[in-house]
Amino acid sequence: MFAICLREFKSLFKSIRSIFIIIIILGVTVGSAKMLSNFGNELQELGLEDAYMTGLFIILMLAGPLFVTSLSHDVINGEIHSRTMRFLVTKMSRDKIVIGKFLGVSLFWFVCILASLILVVPFAKTFYFAEFAESFIFITYFVALSLFLSTVISKPGLSMFIGIVLSITIPVLGTIGIFRDDLILIRVFSFITPYYYIGQEQTMYVYFIPILSLGFLLASVMILRKRDF
Amino acid sequence: MYAFETNQLTKKYGHHTVVNKVDLNVTQGHIFGFLGKNGAGKSTLINMVTGIIKPTSGEFKILGSSEITHEKVKRRIGVLPDYSKFYDELTGIEHLKYFAGILGMSKSTSDLIKLLELVELGDAMKIKTKKYSFGMKKKLGIAQTLINDPELIFLDEPTSGVDANAVLNIHSLIKNVAADGKTIFLTSHNLDEVEKLCDEIAIMDKGVIRAQGSMNQLRREYQSQLTVKIKHSPYPEKQKPELLQIFNKVGRDVHLGEENITIVIEEESDIPVINKALISAEIDVYRIEVDEPSLEDIFLDLDSSQ
Repeated sequence: MFAICLREFKSLFKSIRSIFIIIIILGVTVGSAKMLSNFGNELQELGLEDAYMTGLFIILMLAGPLFVTSLSHDVINGEIHSRTMRFLVTKMSRDKIVIGKFLGVSLFWFVCILASLILVVPFAKTFYFAEFAESFIFITYFVALSLFLSTVISKPGLSMFIGIVLSITIPVLGTIGIFRDDLILIRVFSFITPYYYIGQEQTMYVYFIPILSLGFLLASVMILRKRDF
Repeated sequence: MYAFETNQLTKKYGHHTVVNKVDLNVTQGHIFGFLGKNGAGKSTLINMVTGIIKPTSGEFKILGSSEITHEKVKRRIGVLPDYSKFYDELTGIEHLKYFAGILGMSKSTSDLIKLLELVELGDAMKIKTKKYSFGMKKKLGIAQTLINDPELIFLDEPTSGVDANAVLNIHSLIKNVAADGKTIFLTSHNLDEVEKLCDEIAIMDKGVIRAQGSMNQLRREYQSQLTVKIKHSPYPEKQKPELLQIFNKVGRDVHLGEENITIVIEEESDIPVINKALISAEIDVYRIEVDEPSLEDIFLDLDSSQ
């Protein structure tokens, strides 16, 4: 499992797409933190010390799902399509393949978010531990969703298309669901998105999101157990 | 003791039965040849017993265990699936390191280099596999089956698309591996290859095992005839009818040439009868050759008997 995790992690750093995404995340995070550092005293007076996180928060909320999907839409079906999965399943358990891939992709995002927040430290003079945990929890939801789509859908092209559609739909409907109690269907849908929990005043709601991620992960494991390659 | 055995193993895709109630026993330490035409169900059977696909019904045991999903079992087998594909961006040596890692093994680089040298890929170990030829990929596929020093090795068409020299090298590798007491399950289209290498053979057709046994058992069961070819001194033309009469009693398809006789017989004990007839006719015998039926003859016979 460790070998698969490590390979997934390393291979994500090798693509042009991932380098581009890393540059965007780091650029937006550092740029916004630098800009806000000009108003350091004012932010402190207004009690907005965590405003330095704004750039990272916005980029993750708006584009995070799209970034994850574009990098990991074929994490399982890519291996099935190229038949390399045949080597893997004859050497290790299918459960470990799914979990190893999930951990590898999650580790990539762990490092990206961590690096972004470390770069914010010189401006904020602090490391945002809680915000780091929340951002990571938020992004692992989409890692698990991508993994699930990649397991359910056999064609990488189709999983990419559906992943992109969901990456746009989920933020939109999830955000609408926070504010509109009258739209029942959208409200119910928002319960299975991380946006509903992120949008609650009490930050502890965020810690419900891993239950959803775990659901996607378990579903992927169960489906892969029954698949032929 | 069987290295693996199947009991009524079946695979269906919708209404199409690819493997139909197959009972197969592969003796430990043997090279087992699995023959059949394209679409006979050979690869499907290998894929089922190695955990690549799930059987529709039936059972199988690998090295005494009925649970191929257990990693303990997976670590004792090596598998070369059909249509082996690799990660384009990895080199040969990186592939072996990755597969060793998946198996939870810490193999030294020098061990892995030795493995690549064994399959004649020592010079190409640092080249990315996207630049490998089909034959080189086959060799890398064989190398990865040996990483964990497995007790049972499944090789699905290991020599197809490989050049003649490499085929000889792979044959010698298979023999060496088998000499260490390992069991090899080999599928092939190449009848000569199977006949030369294998202790036991099964022939599959349309998802059913049509014949199984050692080469001698298959000969006895499906093609017992022997072709006797005799080179002799010339004989007077007047002796021909008499000789024909004797030989037609012993065998069939008799051909009497000026210096050559060909007769198809059923039993080895008929050969002295032919020899005595020639001696009593004062014909000198220079050479007697006996052709046993080849695997190809048996294969064709089975095919025509459907």
